[in-house]
Amino acid sequence: MTFTSWQFGAFVAIVFAAYYLPALRAFQVQLLVFASLFFYGYGQPELLALLAVAVFGTYLFLVLALRSRRLWLPAGIAFNLALLAFFKYKLLFIDPASPSLVDFAPLDFLLKLPLPIGISFFVFHNISLLVDLTRQKAAPPSLVDVFLYIIFFPQLVSGPITRAEMFMPQIKPKYLADIPLVDAAKWTLTGFFFKLYVANNLNEMTSYMSFPLYETLQTQDRWLLVFLYSYQIYADFFGYSAIAIGLGLLFGYRLPINFDLPYIATSFSEFWTRWHISLSNWLRTYLYIPLGGNRHGVWRTYLNLMIVMGLGGLWHGAGLGYLMWGLLHGLLLVLERPLLARLAAVDFAAFRVARMTVVFFCVTMLWIFFKLPNFDHAVGYLAGMFTPSTNPNPTKLFYSLALLYSLPVMIQHLGFRPLSEGRLRWAEPYLYGSMAALMYLEAGPDTSFIYFQF
Amino acid sequence: MSAVRWLIKCSAGAAILLIACGFATARFGSGLQMPATTTRDGTLITLSRYLREPVPDVVLVGSSLTFRLKEEYFATPSLRNLALAGGSPVTGLKIVANRPQLPGLILVEMNVLSRSVDAPLVERYSRDIEPLFFRPVRAAVAAYEQRRHAPLTHEQVAPELRRLVGRPPSDFDNRVYADRALQQFNAEDPTDEARINTKRIEELIRMVEQRGARVLLIELPYSEAIESSRSAAITRKIAHAAFPDSKRWLPVEVNRSELRWTDGVHLDERSAVIVTQAMERALASARMAK
Repeated sequence: MTFTSWQFGAFVAIVFAAYYLPALRAFQVQLLVFASLFFYGYGQPELLALLAVAVFGTYLFLVLALRSRRLWLPAGIAFNLALLAFFKYKLLFIDPASPSLVDFAPLDFLLKLPLPIGISFFVFHNISLLVDLTRQKAAPPSLVDVFLYIIFFPQLVSGPITRAEMFMPQIKPKYLADIPLVDAAKWTLTGFFFKLYVANNLNEMTSYMSFPLYETLQTQDRWLLVFLYSYQIYADFFGYSAIAIGLGLLFGYRLPINFDLPYIATSFSEFWTRWHISLSNWLRTYLYIPLGGNRHGVWRTYLNLMIVMGLGGLWHGAGLGYLMWGLLHGLLLVLERPLLARLAAVDFAAFRVARMTVVFFCVTMLWIFFKLPNFDHAVGYLAGMFTPSTNPNPTKLFYSLALLYSLPVMIQHLGFRPLSEGRLRWAEPYLYGSMAALMYLEAGPDTSFIYFQF
Repeated sequence: MSAVRWLIKCSAGAAILLIACGFATARFGSGLQMPATTTRDGTLITLSRYLREPVPDVVLVGSSLTFRLKEEYFATPSLRNLALAGGSPVTGLKIVANRPQLPGLILVEMNVLSRSVDAPLVERYSRDIEPLFFRPVRAAVAAYEQRRHAPLTHEQVAPELRRLVGRPPSDFDNRVYADRALQQFNAEDPTDEARINTKRIEELIRMVEQRGARVLLIELPYSEAIESSRSAAITRKIAHAAFPDSKRWLPVEVNRSELRWTDGVHLDERSAVIVTQAMERALASARMAK
């Protein structure tokens, strides 16, 4: 069930209505758990068993680790990483199309299961749960609370990756009067608008970046599409995260903000504090700092950055393209690190704009490895950006349409001063209303969220 | 501002925009040609126009091969090309057959018979249902694009077409694309689908001819390698077995050494013009013979 389907709208309406019934107040957590299981199992019920194994297994390791952290915490983390590795990277070693992969039937069944949606996200939730709660040495939470933290449906499929120490204290009875309705409406409408109006429409154009379609493009259009994809992936993932935050608020939970205008970052390190913030925080807290962070000298810091970014790339998928994407981001972080203090000392507007442009350009170019995870295809696309096209029948793109569909991302990043300064505050509800109408009228063809594949 | 007042204003904002678009659609219709960002869009534009405008004398239905024969290449007045890039000729033929009025002559391309009918498209264009709202951003861009690049007539492009045909054939190196296409054409076995589609075409021809229209079949030229590929050979055999009468076929006689293909399958622009001219000569003879 995707966020943009009518079935999801009906599902949320029913769960919301039941959730705040006084008679069901004592069962709010159970209701959300049941609803989340229904949401996850809808269309793919065979994966519910896997989800149950992940949650029950993690809970067992949590209880044991609260008794002996030293022994059971690594075992719990290894259990979750093994789950992730098995499902995510098995295709490197097997061909799922072959009739029988191994002689052992249960393993054969597991090997043929598709990639469980959201596994990368709920595994990270599980690890956060194990680390945070055993660090606090608190009493083990109830199983149903653990279930809710891991499978809460707004964040189950693609995050934001919420840390256990942030989420668990929020589990308590919720009242309709406490809902920040306007905030929830703003987040939800913004999310749907960015997904339906911006991302889905831009996807029609950026579909020409796929192999072999990109061979029909003119050189300048290859450049244009890379920038459009940069806007699209932002609108798609920001849209998903905004909907998740809005839905979380409707049910009384504050989920972390995942994006903070990433394309105005003036450095690569700042970019990672603005893009997929919950993943960056997770990697910093549970990987970079345990590796030693910046506490063991310059070269070790560089190595740690490369390891974290390389693994961050591989977290997205088992492909050379994703690894390259992560490592190149790591390299950019390493290269800029010695210069950061000197760059920060130069503080005038034109220089800041130049830095923003450089960061945006580099980040955008690296999205090619994301769009085309097949390394050869990505290199082929890149090569074509620097050679004149000879195709006598190139694909026609409408630049005016590209501009109009990208405009919301640009306006959001560059800021709309009368609104931000409060002079147009009265127009705000009408603006959100117009966005709602526009996302209905101008919705692009339905496509799944890009981050669903991870 | 209370949450309820905020939500009421928000809903009012949405309603005002929707009502405005509803009125605009009722006033101007939704027929403004939307810019096509995909071939599917292009298909919808072509079909919408067919429904909106008077029934033409000649209609072409087919796949992406026929899609390349632009309407302005034809000197024949009142001709519409309903070929669907990535689609089946049966889809176009079915849409034409389902309309209350038929064109005098329907040309059906028989090169690609391996694709199934696009049922939702047939359903959508077999009924006269106008959408409630148009898409305001696309409509604005369409108006702008039409103002800047109005559709060309044959008279407007005729000098350029003459110049194009007068030039030597293109020396574009299409080896990479041609090899890939040949691989696909040799891997594909279209037997089952081609038989089903040929049967459907036979039925549709019977239906439209009973209503007074005339149907001729055409085969567009492929490159030599593709002509002898497995898929092309099987399709040709099935089509000619189903329609053995040579009078049913419109002969497209061209000097093949003058033709070039972007990928061995699709004609380049100059070749498309040459083929169009050959088709017009054959059409004139067929009409005289009738």
